Amino acid sequence: MINNIKRISTLFSVSIVACMLIFSSCGENKDEEDIDPIDTNKTNLVNINGTLFSIPSPIQTAILLKQVGAPYNKSLLNNPGKIASYSTEAKRALNLGAYGADLGYIILYQQTQEAIGYLSAVKKLSDDVGIAGAFDAKLLERFKQNMANKDSLLVFTSEAFRSSDSYLKNNDRAKVSSLIIAGGWIESLYFTTEMFSGNVQDKTKLFQRVGEQKNTLDNLIKLLTPYYQEEGFTEFVDALIDLAGEFDKIEVNYVFVAPTTDDANKITTINSTTEVKITPELIKTIQEKVKTVRGFIIN
Amino acid sequence: MNKIIASLLVLLSLSLFTKKIMAQCDTVANSCYKNITAKYISDGQQYRALLLNKEVAEFSATLFGGTQYRMAACSGMKDGQLVFSIYDKQRNLLFTNKEHKNSPYWDFKVKNTLDCIIEAKLLDENAASGCAVLLIGFKE
Repeated sequence: MINNIKRISTLFSVSIVACMLIFSSCGENKDEEDIDPIDTNKTNLVNINGTLFSIPSPIQTAILLKQVGAPYNKSLLNNPGKIASYSTEAKRALNLGAYGADLGYIILYQQTQEAIGYLSAVKKLSDDVGIAGAFDAKLLERFKQNMANKDSLLVFTSEAFRSSDSYLKNNDRAKVSSLIIAGGWIESLYFTTEMFSGNVQDKTKLFQRVGEQKNTLDNLIKLLTPYYQEEGFTEFVDALIDLAGEFDKIEVNYVFVAPTTDDANKITTINSTTEVKITPELIKTIQEKVKTVRGFIIN
Repeated sequence: MNKIIASLLVLLSLSLFTKKIMAQCDTVANSCYKNITAKYISDGQQYRALLLNKEVAEFSATLFGGTQYRMAACSGMKDGQLVFSIYDKQRNLLFTNKEHKNSPYWDFKVKNTLDCIIEAKLLDENAASGCAVLLIGFKE
């Protein structure tokens, strides 16, 4: 509860700051003497109070699902035939992220017959949000030529999304970039929580992975908060805050252990431990709430 | 009237300056991407911040247990221009490339999931400004 209040309070204050930064006309009219110079630290960077937020790739979740032996489940995916119904920029961006996560899942499970349909959906939505360059004919061609090579397909897909992210940030459109990331992350969280009731022998790793993303959800909310008042954001961010209220009930115990570094191979092993405690009741609630948030995106 | 024109000119100049810096960030990021080799899958994002003088960029991230990551950190077109350090949430230092000749990339084998803060600052503290770029790749 306290964390929710803190979140709403942060959201409110960050919204005001963002509003002031983006629209100098938000408040009263300023005299010409009062016009502030642009702070280049606060332009089109995804940067709130000096911090940038990293959201894990949906592909990492798909990797985990495969590792725990979760079977391929087509019914988890968003139907690519629905793209025509996404008419706002926010919906298109969120679903571009969701279809991207679906594509990663399909590639990882080597369901190549499905891949082209999802890649086409991604391409169409990327055209609609104005980032056609990243998913061009050249990528489609590379994709078709490497259908049997799962690793290459994952690299191509991730690289295309990184390229889109870069293009959007270069063109003052970090807002769209944030929604793509959010759509992908929620879709992958949905895959995991649906497997709570799926055919998986040892679900402990799935529960743990969900619990470990408490910080990611907070980061995602902070990433989206500057746009809270904009079309398509308010209801979505409110739903994420509601979900975060449940994540706050997860107990995460971290213990620092000194890392070890291998200079010759330029590699450091992080030895610290993290223990996640989550009750069966909470698992059920989170599963339901994730379904609601995901429903907001795809419907 | 003159003040309005002067203000508009200042805004225009700053806007052009910002565009120029963004283009610089893009060039740095494309060059930095060579450090994320084909063995790693990009996390699909590009983290960057314009740093002035001694400013420090802060990145909040979660690294999953059982995964090997590669982080590449760049500023400018030469390697080793950005100092990056990784701390856990208790501010214990886990790694800094300062102790490794400012290596532009480093690999991390993460045994258990970790919430961390990555800090980045320009090597030359006298530099007026620079674009800090961080890229993250991972592998199974």
